[in-house]
Amino acid sequence: MHGIGFIVATYTATFVSSALLAGYFIRRGKQLAAQLPPEDKPWI
Amino acid sequence: MFRVARLIAAKDLRVEMRSRVVTNQVLPFAAITMVMFAFAFNTDSVVNKVAPGLVWLATLFSLLTLVQRSFAIESADGAIDALRGAGVDSAGIFLGKAVALAAQLAVLEVLLLLTAVVLYSAKFRLGGVVLLVTTFVAATCGLALVGTLYGGLAAGVRGRETLLPLLLLPVVAPVLIGATRATEAALGTSGAVVADGWPWVGLLAVFVALFGVGGTLAFGPLIEE
Amino acid sequence: MATTDSQLTDTGDTGDVRRATASTTVAAVPNATGTGTPFTRILGLATIVTLALLIVFGLFISPADVVQGESVRILYIHVGTVWVAYVAFVVTALSSAAFLWKRTTSLTWDRIAGASAEVGVLFMALTLFAGALWGRVAWGKFWVWDARVTTTAFLFITYVGYLAVRGLGGSHQQRGRRSAVVALLAVLEIPLVHFSVKLWRGLHQDASVSDTTHVKLHDQMLFSLFIALIAFTLLYVWLVMHRQRVMAMQDALDDKGLDYALQQRREEGDL
Repeated sequence: MHGIGFIVATYTATFVSSALLAGYFIRRGKQLAAQLPPEDKPWI
Repeated sequence: MFRVARLIAAKDLRVEMRSRVVTNQVLPFAAITMVMFAFAFNTDSVVNKVAPGLVWLATLFSLLTLVQRSFAIESADGAIDALRGAGVDSAGIFLGKAVALAAQLAVLEVLLLLTAVVLYSAKFRLGGVVLLVTTFVAATCGLALVGTLYGGLAAGVRGRETLLPLLLLPVVAPVLIGATRATEAALGTSGAVVADGWPWVGLLAVFVALFGVGGTLAFGPLIEE
Repeated sequence: MATTDSQLTDTGDTGDVRRATASTTVAAVPNATGTGTPFTRILGLATIVTLALLIVFGLFISPADVVQGESVRILYIHVGTVWVAYVAFVVTALSSAAFLWKRTTSLTWDRIAGASAEVGVLFMALTLFAGALWGRVAWGKFWVWDARVTTTAFLFITYVGYLAVRGLGGSHQQRGRRSAVVALLAVLEIPLVHFSVKLWRGLHQDASVSDTTHVKLHDQMLFSLFIALIAFTLLYVWLVMHRQRVMAMQDALDDKGLDYALQQRREEGDL
């Protein structure tokens, strides 16, 4: 029943990759924010 | 704009006449590709059947080299920057280079077609000649326009040239599909009739129109430095 | 700006420039440590909740399909990701146009276009992945050469090319202009490719496999699908907002690096 394996693979790939991308954006955001003064961050 | 185009086209073709890079390097490359295809596909009947596709595939691969060559002659001494700085109409540059590229492509395609006749036993038929010529003209114009456009983008410095295949090949997919189907109809490959080919020529014409207009508008912003 | 007394200090590491501020404005401003704001926090929470609902309903509560069996669960993801991928592409195209149009031009549009494309590439890849797996179960093959599937793959390659163009270097304006033009050309190209393939495959009279994707969805299955659409849309917005802010900071840092270099050159000249 390769169907089940495919389902798990799909959900796993989707959630894991999204989480990794999200983590990368957040981390990069913190790194850069530490190097810049507030005026370069207009969303604050 | 047309005066500029004519001058640029003449310039490009003159450079080629003198340097003979296309005739000495690209045409042989294209011919070798056709031989390689035969090695890969093994059976005579298979190769005969896919001959139209192989002709256009070889054309596309050679197009990459032709486009790179077209812009390599510009980056020497910053020629294209000098043209733009002098206020030369970018649309004129675009059309001029496209015309020169089309001329080179045309020579290439005729050679490839003849090679297919020789190597793959492809056969012309009288009823399909008009379709064949129209297809080649339309496809050549389309490829020349798109090639010049993306060539301008990927031109010159710092490892941009390797980007050209990635950008260009997907974009010319409709030309590959249309030109191959129309050529099959013109030659009668796999029992195709000439009438089948004309819708594909229509597709090619739309492609030419789109990238003729789009390219003329987009070329300026693209080569602006 | 007037209250910030700043001096540039070179830490001595290659290319690492830190700006030491004499004022205390950094400490006084909340959320100065990252790209998060109250809005994105709430958005993020909503995203996590809806994604959790998707897992619960998609994988467990909703029933298996009469015809397709369990594999219908893949579709909840597949439809969700393809929807986002298309939205992302449209956003990239519109932002590109906004950047090129003189009256609205701003690098923010360029960054939104880029951020949207990055997220779009991911979701497009997931779409093709999920679609291939679903197709293997439903049709027995990973791939079919019909217009929709082929155009989706084409869209993916185009995105990848677009991101490559963004990475070509040069000034931010050049990046914006180049990639905006490429994005808009892609908009022209997509329908052309779709039509070409449709015409092409039409000749082969593939009893359209696409027909069998018409699934009759009931209640909980429909709900799972809607949850997926909502969850992925929220996720998309959240990702693009954060990515855009990261890019904005990166651009600002690039500019400061340039200012610093120019200042060094000027100081050299004054010697």
